Amino acid sequence: MSIIHVSSLKKSYGRKTVLDDINFEIAEGSVVGLLGPNGCGKTTLIKILTGLIKDHTGTVRIDNEEPGPYTKSIVAYLPDKSYLPDWMKPKDAIGYFSDFYADFDREKAEKMVRDFALDENQRLKTMSKGQQEKLNLILVMCRRAKLYVLDEPLGGLDPAARSFVLDLILNNYAKDSTVLISTHLIGDVERIFNRVLMISGGRLIVNSHVDEIREKGKSVEEVFKEVFSYAW
Amino acid sequence: MLGKLIKHELRHSARYTMAIYAAVIVISAVMGLSLLSSATWLGVMSCGALYLTGIIAVIVTLVSVIKNFYDTLFGRQGYLTLTLPVKCSSLLISKVIVSFIWIVASFALMALTMIMIFFYAKEKSSGYFSMMSEAISLSGILELLPSASTVVKLLTVAAIWAVITIFTYVSFVYFTVTVANTRAFQSHPKILGGLVFLGIFSLNNTVGNMLTAYLPLSFNLGNDTVYFAFQQMDKVQDALFSYGVGGTVFSGLLALGLLFLTGYILENKVNLK
Repeated sequence: MSIIHVSSLKKSYGRKTVLDDINFEIAEGSVVGLLGPNGCGKTTLIKILTGLIKDHTGTVRIDNEEPGPYTKSIVAYLPDKSYLPDWMKPKDAIGYFSDFYADFDREKAEKMVRDFALDENQRLKTMSKGQQEKLNLILVMCRRAKLYVLDEPLGGLDPAARSFVLDLILNNYAKDSTVLISTHLIGDVERIFNRVLMISGGRLIVNSHVDEIREKGKSVEEVFKEVFSYAW
Repeated sequence: MLGKLIKHELRHSARYTMAIYAAVIVISAVMGLSLLSSATWLGVMSCGALYLTGIIAVIVTLVSVIKNFYDTLFGRQGYLTLTLPVKCSSLLISKVIVSFIWIVASFALMALTMIMIFFYAKEKSSGYFSMMSEAISLSGILELLPSASTVVKLLTVAAIWAVITIFTYVSFVYFTVTVANTRAFQSHPKILGGLVFLGIFSLNNTVGNMLTAYLPLSFNLGNDTVYFAFQQMDKVQDALFSYGVGGTVFSGLLALGLLFLTGYILENKVNLK
């Protein structure tokens, strides 16, 4: 059964087409890499899946529903920027998620905040960027969501931090859930993907099982370099 | 969910206004202490500061309604707000209710500061303050008041008018900010948003003033009585004060329509940057 169904999706900003005739389905329980260089349309696709962009054409279904209150209740979304207000403290953010998401595990979040040495009474505006990103990720991964959508969770992190974030994701997502990770840092994450989608110039040019790629004697990173060689 | 939305909306918006409310408490305390002292300058200064704070509270609140709406829906916090598992209409209703609460509170605070200054002046009753006190009593406001039942009716009508006026302001702001953040306006959101606001404001004023003057429906204050009449305001006989309500009804309907339109845009045309 597919958790994401996208057909004939098209999105333009004025005369510029950002996504053009995108079609794919993602089965439940997969870990999917959404790959492509900066500006290829990954974030726009994610915003459409999470209901942040509505003025598009084509069909988008999450768990057989159009993006709306139901799909938002089953999708845990990590944007590519910090989205919590500066005045909030970790305990406020946990209270907020606990109030709105029935699948949020409050005890787990409180424990993780302590384990990762975050002060639950420190305001976000006084936290470092790294601390804020940790908190954002904790909030998202403490949901028992059907679908996790993580937009560039590794962007701007050093290799040690990337490894930490990946472990945090892998150790905490509900195992029967689906994870969609957008990234352009293939090397670090290729080991965790079952499937990869590659977008170039707004078009989906690769939609393949990782096993199929490996059967051809290639790694995901090699395919990525072949596909996007023009971009560098 | 609406209750939770209102709770978090109140918490979020409180940070804009709480400093003003704290300032009023501090200045009031200074005013109170100055009653015990013979230093006239302290009383004059604190009265002036309290008066200004009351006005600033209203201004800050009206501006914060705009800022809070933009920040929570179209700023980076929009990623949090617009992915909550709630309908856009619920988001909008919670914001309208909370904005309404803060605006009413700010006007109440301004009225309270005036009342405090009045009683302070009466208490001091010497020099500068006695002049103020006399000026207030000379205005003879209290002697002009009609009977209690008429005052209640007047206050009820005034409250309805205030509700519609606040609702109109909030809906104009929400509609303008929402339209300014659609794809068509995103190139110059501030300029185009300003023009949209000006357009709605002009429409409301032009049509509203015409309906107020020419629609045969008026609210009238007679000799110790208030009543509505199906007559134009300037054709009502024997009224001490007459006001055409067509403009207010139009404002209310326009505000309601704009709020529905705002909800529709949020639901179907949102395009978070």
